Amino acid sequence: MLEKELAFYEKNLSNWLREYPGKFVIIKDEELVGVFDTNEQALSAAASRFGLDSYLIRRIQKKSEDIKLPALTLGLLYANPTHATYSTRTNA
Amino acid sequence: MPILHTQLTAQGQTPDGSAIHLPSTIALIQRGPIVQVTIGVEQNIAQQLLLQGIPLPQPVPGIALIDTGATSTCIDEAIAQKLKLPVVDVVSIASASHADSKQNVYPALIEVVGIAIKFNALRAIGVPLANQGIHVLIGRDLLQICTLFYNGMIGSFTLSI
Repeated sequence: MLEKELAFYEKNLSNWLREYPGKFVIIKDEELVGVFDTNEQALSAAASRFGLDSYLIRRIQKKSEDIKLPALTLGLLYANPTHATYSTRTNA
Repeated sequence: MPILHTQLTAQGQTPDGSAIHLPSTIALIQRGPIVQVTIGVEQNIAQQLLLQGIPLPQPVPGIALIDTGATSTCIDEAIAQKLKLPVVDVVSIASASHADSKQNVYPALIEVVGIAIKFNALRAIGVPLANQGIHVLIGRDLLQICTLFYNGMIGSFTLSI
């Protein structure tokens, strides 16, 4: 998914780091569709143009996103199940 | 300011198989801080679709685990696909079964059921979660706008936004 867009981003990143540092870009196929100050603005513009089609939205920055998901990485989600059933009680 | 206060209850089994009621403290240990949510189309996208007369898919109900260990929010990949959410990025993450796997990133709206707490998740990572009984991991990217009080002493937690 998004192979063309990701390759285009990597190819142009060094130029864009000079031109649009910290901005959010929309890329569709091999086209830079737009440059925005916020992710919300980029999403809104992309949805207006592409509906529910896929496209790449990335912030122009040197370092890629630092994602840490230890529960998934280490397989710890409910690692010690006891077959309990549950219900929730909420009070607003 | 909406405030969600939750106290879990649970049933366990004795060695002979009969059901017993477990205290809330144990339930919270077993299940963690979970909330009932719906997952739907992100607000900015929904607004644009409505302007174009495109009907929005119905939000999908699920269970969210508040995961203070996660930098990023995750949603169940199958739900994202069912809702036809647009893929807006692909990221690499390590999982228990794969050293480095490529996962889609989706914008999504996560609403807590029964209270006016909604998270407009601009970059939720799609991962297979449903087989573990949950559908969303609420990470620190969304918790940055929340107050979370975890009271292990009485098996409850409080979330406000």
